[in-house]
Amino acid sequence: MILHPTVIANLLAAYIGSGMVLYAVFYGVQILRHWDIQSGHELQLVLERKTYLISTLLSYVFGLQLLSLFLYIFTADSLTPLFVGAMCAAGTLNVDSFGYPTLVLKIFNFILAGLWLVLNYADNQGYDYPLIKKKYLLLAVVAPFILLETILESAYFLSMKADVITSCCGSLFSSERVTGIGSEIASLPALPMMWIFYSTMFCTLLCGIFFYMKGLGGYLYAALSLLMFIISLVSIVSFISLYIYELPTHHCPFCIIMEEYNYIGYLLYILLFGAVVSGIGVGALLPFRQVESLQAMLGGFIRNLALTSVILYAAFTAMVSYEIVSSSLVIAYEVVY
Amino acid sequence: MIELVNVKKVFNAGNPSEFSALNSVNLFIEENQVTVLKGPSGSGKTTLLSIVGCMSRPSAGRVKLQGREITSLPERFLTDIRRKTFGFIFQQPNLIKGISVLDNVMLPAYPLGEKRSHLKIKAMKGLCELNIANKAASKVEWLSGGEAQRASIVRALINDPHIIIADEPTAHLDTKLSYRFMEIIEKFKAEGKTVIITSHDPLVYESTMVDRVVKLRDGQIED
Repeated sequence: MILHPTVIANLLAAYIGSGMVLYAVFYGVQILRHWDIQSGHELQLVLERKTYLISTLLSYVFGLQLLSLFLYIFTADSLTPLFVGAMCAAGTLNVDSFGYPTLVLKIFNFILAGLWLVLNYADNQGYDYPLIKKKYLLLAVVAPFILLETILESAYFLSMKADVITSCCGSLFSSERVTGIGSEIASLPALPMMWIFYSTMFCTLLCGIFFYMKGLGGYLYAALSLLMFIISLVSIVSFISLYIYELPTHHCPFCIIMEEYNYIGYLLYILLFGAVVSGIGVGALLPFRQVESLQAMLGGFIRNLALTSVILYAAFTAMVSYEIVSSSLVIAYEVVY
Repeated sequence: MIELVNVKKVFNAGNPSEFSALNSVNLFIEENQVTVLKGPSGSGKTTLLSIVGCMSRPSAGRVKLQGREITSLPERFLTDIRRKTFGFIFQQPNLIKGISVLDNVMLPAYPLGEKRSHLKIKAMKGLCELNIANKAASKVEWLSGGEAQRASIVRALINDPHIIIADEPTAHLDTKLSYRFMEIIEKFKAEGKTVIITSHDPLVYESTMVDRVVKLRDGQIED
């Protein structure tokens, strides 16, 4: 293990978060088993009081979970000078076999935690805890992944050794390599990917605006926002990074978070992750529009979520377009390096 | 109007100092009536009143207000009900020192966002009705005991509540002021309000305007 302040911060955040999630799951299971709003039994009243504590606690834990993704990437980036061969977070994450699985799990948990926060907010607006069982069911689904993430993250940081020679991002995200998902994405043709990105984004934004104005097509928007999230991540590797680095061969999705590129990667990722969580949140809440105690507010909240998602995706597209337009790189033909 | 179903309240549950203040209380309080909860000290009167007034939650059981179950409500909904439905008159006036009588009276209405000018008119009207309008600008520490009690009554009425809850209101009043207080209660009744009072003062529970006396002992209702 490398005793670096950011490593300690990551591990502490993971252990505190997991401990609190375990505590919440204990009461969550009781709520799932014994909750009966009609009952005046002592246990029911205890659970009603406990749910305030748990939902407040989980709001902070999942808020921390959202931040921990960026802290993890920042840590990987700041540890780069310690490993031979590492040029950015991509290399640091490759120093052992747990770095990338942890990252994937953190992305997955970011979306689940975001969805839980959306569901919790909606539930708190109703006078009769309308979504309580749903949100604790979701917690029961999220909890194992949070715990698994903590185990993988611990394994990653604890098995880190400074004398390891790792690969640089140029090698991991190279269109010349034949194996590895990073290289496969990097080798996707840039210009067709650009067309796919802009056309899908156009459809997504159109669908989002239509839903915001007419209240129709919410599920479609939720699906499109998830699809757009995946396409955007692929696009960052495939062509967006090329314009930011102004190099036709550099596809790294991590170098963009560095100071040399004005930390633009953080902004792009925050916009993207915010957009997907609010976009999927639309689909997650749509089935509950007819719940009596939520009828007055849920429609407006869902529309606001859709609008937030649309604005974030539009801002992401604007940032990407600015980088492309202001870049010295011109891709006039297929990159074959 | 208010229904208590099997209400229990236990303090320090699970500790050696555990104390059961209310034991399976079932009670129905009619609308537009004056109900007095009578009983010795420690009988559970104030605990019951605080549960009825949404100031505390029972350990078990349910409370229904106009047919709607309110004990399970999340805190912010309960606050809204407490603010709009109940007016509280306490044993002590509990006025805030350092500010005027008028400001004290208007204070519970601030969270509702009513226009200050409207609020001021309403507060002055209330102070006029209880003959303390001339003290509106005075600081509360300058008031006599009776004036302070009347100011607290006007404060309890500022949000026009349907239900007035008074906890031992005459405990610190002399006989003359206690009679004056009961006259005010009679006026509330005439206006259609429901009044719930806890008291072990005969002047209160023997009053002709009281519709029902509920006797409490050891956390239970006596038949």
